[in-house]
Amino acid sequence: MPDQPTDLIQGTLEMLVLKTLALEPLHGYGIALRIEQISQGAFRVNPGSLLPALSRMERAGHVKGEWRATENNRRARYYALTAKGRKALQSETENWGRQIAAINRILEA
Amino acid sequence: MGLFKSIRDGLNALHNKRGRNRQIDEELESFLGESINEKMRRGMTAEDAIRAARAEVGSVEVVKHKVWNAGWESRAERLWNDLRYTVRRLVRMPGLVIVVLLSIGIGVAANATIFSIVSKFLLQSPPVGEPATLVSVVRTYDHGRCCNGLPLPIVKDVQAQTQSLSGVAAYYELVPVAMGGGSKPERVWGQAATANFFDVLAATMTAGRGFLATEDKSPVIVLGYRLWQQKFGGDAGIVGKPLDISGHVYTVVGIAPKGFRGLDQVLDPQFWVPLGDLPDLTAKSPDPESRNIQWLRGVARLNPGVSRETAAHEMEVITGRLAKAHPDSDKNTGVALLKLGSLGRDEAAMKMFVLAVSIVALMVLLIACANVANLLLAQGAERQREMAVRLSLGATRAQLLRQLLLESLLLALGGGVVGVLLSMWATYALSSFRLPVPIAMDLSVRVDWRVLVYAFVLSMIAGVVCGFIPAWRASRPTMPNALKGEEALARPGRWWSLRGALVVTQITLSLVLLCASGLFLRSLRSAATIDVGFRSRGTVMMAIDPQLHKYTPERAVVMLRSVREKMVGLPGVMSATVTDGVPLSMGHRSDGFDVPGMPKPLGENIVELYMIAPDYFETIGIPLLSGRGIGDENPDAPKVAVVNEEFVRRFFQGQNPIGHTANDGDVPFTIVGVAKNTKSRTIGEDQRPVLYRSINQSIAKDPSQDGYTVMVRYEGDTSALTRAMEHEIHAVDPALAIFNTTTMEEHMRDALFLPRLVGTLFTVFGLAGVLLAAVGLYGVMSYTVSRRTKEIGVRMALGARAAQVQSMIVRGGMRLALVSLAIGLPLALAAARLTTSLLYGVQPWDIATFTLVPVLLIAVALVACWIPSRRASHVDPMAALRME
Repeated sequence: MPDQPTDLIQGTLEMLVLKTLALEPLHGYGIALRIEQISQGAFRVNPGSLLPALSRMERAGHVKGEWRATENNRRARYYALTAKGRKALQSETENWGRQIAAINRILEA
Repeated sequence: MGLFKSIRDGLNALHNKRGRNRQIDEELESFLGESINEKMRRGMTAEDAIRAARAEVGSVEVVKHKVWNAGWESRAERLWNDLRYTVRRLVRMPGLVIVVLLSIGIGVAANATIFSIVSKFLLQSPPVGEPATLVSVVRTYDHGRCCNGLPLPIVKDVQAQTQSLSGVAAYYELVPVAMGGGSKPERVWGQAATANFFDVLAATMTAGRGFLATEDKSPVIVLGYRLWQQKFGGDAGIVGKPLDISGHVYTVVGIAPKGFRGLDQVLDPQFWVPLGDLPDLTAKSPDPESRNIQWLRGVARLNPGVSRETAAHEMEVITGRLAKAHPDSDKNTGVALLKLGSLGRDEAAMKMFVLAVSIVALMVLLIACANVANLLLAQGAERQREMAVRLSLGATRAQLLRQLLLESLLLALGGGVVGVLLSMWATYALSSFRLPVPIAMDLSVRVDWRVLVYAFVLSMIAGVVCGFIPAWRASRPTMPNALKGEEALARPGRWWSLRGALVVTQITLSLVLLCASGLFLRSLRSAATIDVGFRSRGTVMMAIDPQLHKYTPERAVVMLRSVREKMVGLPGVMSATVTDGVPLSMGHRSDGFDVPGMPKPLGENIVELYMIAPDYFETIGIPLLSGRGIGDENPDAPKVAVVNEEFVRRFFQGQNPIGHTANDGDVPFTIVGVAKNTKSRTIGEDQRPVLYRSINQSIAKDPSQDGYTVMVRYEGDTSALTRAMEHEIHAVDPALAIFNTTTMEEHMRDALFLPRLVGTLFTVFGLAGVLLAAVGLYGVMSYTVSRRTKEIGVRMALGARAAQVQSMIVRGGMRLALVSLAIGLPLALAAARLTTSLLYGVQPWDIATFTLVPVLLIAVALVACWIPSRRASHVDPMAALRME
């Protein structure tokens, strides 16, 4: 059984959301579920942080929202990555990689 | 684009708040639904799934709040709400708002008005192309000492040799002409400039053009914008038309840019003619070939990319070359390039004056700020309970602080508006001060955009400074006390409070200001009673200039004689004369004198020169002490002169000078009379030696540049007399332009402009300061009374009489006033020492001022304490005690 789910590392939520959306458009709960599944339950995202983040990202033009019906026939807002969001994802991933590498170097020194 | 989208979305959200909320609700709903579905799919019961999902989502309201917070619009909305709340609050206390607005308004107005002077004379650049690459050109002497005008050949040589300057122009500062084209001929001041003047300045003409390169001596004229508007109704058709200029036919070729007044910010020329025309317009045109007469002002345009320093370096090389070529005239001289818009020689004095007045204005603002801070502190103290309640209900300190600061910013903004309105009026009043000089000057100031920006910034700073401390303190009340409605700011055991210190500062500063204004007012009174040596009323004057109308000296003498004779015939006229200059015009003509056969003069040998006609001493009212006055002298006879007592003291050391000769250079004068001393240039000056000579004898060799003033001693109606005088002058020659019509009373008023200006400024500032300080003291005292109501009630219940309570309150306030006096008096005495040079006949430690002002202040303080103390004595002990 995995440890208790933890909060996300500060500032990574938007990057993770972008990554999740890179495969296909998803609605809010879909994003939360996908993050939880892929992280094997390590991260859990609640709507209190996800919805504001989505609102911010939509404002910034990284994602585009659209009302659609879900497979359970419920109206939900689906978010899709924009070209700008793809670029942001790339630069954030690179940035993250650099930071991780640096942190690792420090920890292993 | 991102920004644009963010603003658009934000505005949409604000506009359609309910829609946005519904959207968030709906999204949360679907989140919840999907979550429940998923959990049930994994095998939970419906009930468990719903409970778990709800726990996951948490409070719907919190989520909604967070989503709203993600955009900027929520902050804007909070600000808007705060703003509305603040305005509502302020509207509920109009008394406080009015006092605060007036305080800041007066402080800002004082500073903005002073700044309007700075803006006009130090910051504004003339309406020419790229003022940054223009430099003014002056001649230096004694290896680089500044500054003289330029001889024309130097201008031409520099222009011919320079690589770093693209053009060098020069102009003659002021020349008067008689201009036709209206109903009456009018005397107008203008400038004579080299043909390249407008090209070097790159001025965009309103109409027509500047001078062509070939028009160095052509009869063409460029009119100033204002003259064009006033005299020709702004009709562009005037360009190309002929115009009568001092009896010559000129062609109008252009209209100068709006606001263009040459390069000097003080002079007020109204037209420009080519420099080569000058000999036609004035008999005293300097020799354009001379390398010694330094009569022109220069202006040059730097080549692109060349700095002033580089160009100055090149000037050294060029003037070095010129010094070799013309050792007699150019040795040790040079050419300096100054920043344009400099006031030249007067700049240092001007800056000192502005600095001094700015300090005074800042003091007024400081008093005003202390006042506002004090009032807001009292306000804050009364709001302790409100603050405490809001804090305990979960408001953060930052929120309270933001709202309080918003309040003071709003007040500051209002104060700024009041300040600008006040200073618009003040600049108007200031512009009415005139210098008693016979030339065209423009000293008017107004509120321009720079002044507006300055006033805005100043009031914002004032608002933040005044608002911050009260806001800071109000936002951190001592909670338990405050909630109980007790004084939460009082720190027991302190013998002074911030508010007391503020009041002391206010009273101290206003004491200093009031002492200064007292001194200046006394000085104005004593300046007005200084014996100037001539009759200061009952004389009317108007000037004409025969030189502008191509009179020969012989014809001028005849014309002036017949004008004088006609004047005497007018009803009410007792005597009439003609002179070339009215005393107290800030300096007329003067020259170095020597008296053969006498020891060196005591002091300087510079003598003030006046040309006069018969009956001068009688008309202006200067007593003759011995000998005779100047009569209708024969132009060809040896020149005669009357001197004043100071001349006798200086050159003859008290011996009888009559019959002796005094030399003005190579012109000898035989002294025929001695007159009493008069003030010559300014009212406050020490006596100067004066020599009066005959117009008849000197008009040919040394004509006046300012024309000749017909002076009439009269009894009766001034306006009827001036009309009659103009009529008589035009009867002699209808073409004569009449100018500078004034009475001696008006002239004396103008002559007192400096003490009047300083006196007015300080009185206004001082009274404003006292008013503010009184309000401040009153505020503190009435706050004290309301705070101590309970205590007073106890005292009265225990048997204190109303009078005792009242005196207790008054004593508390007067202690502050006395402390202020103790600090302020030495300060005021020290400040007074700085004003010595501006005072006339008053000592800087003037006893009357330094006793009256403190007494006045004490009286004001007493009133300010007495009113609240009355309220204290009316406290009903039962009511006060029941307040618990």
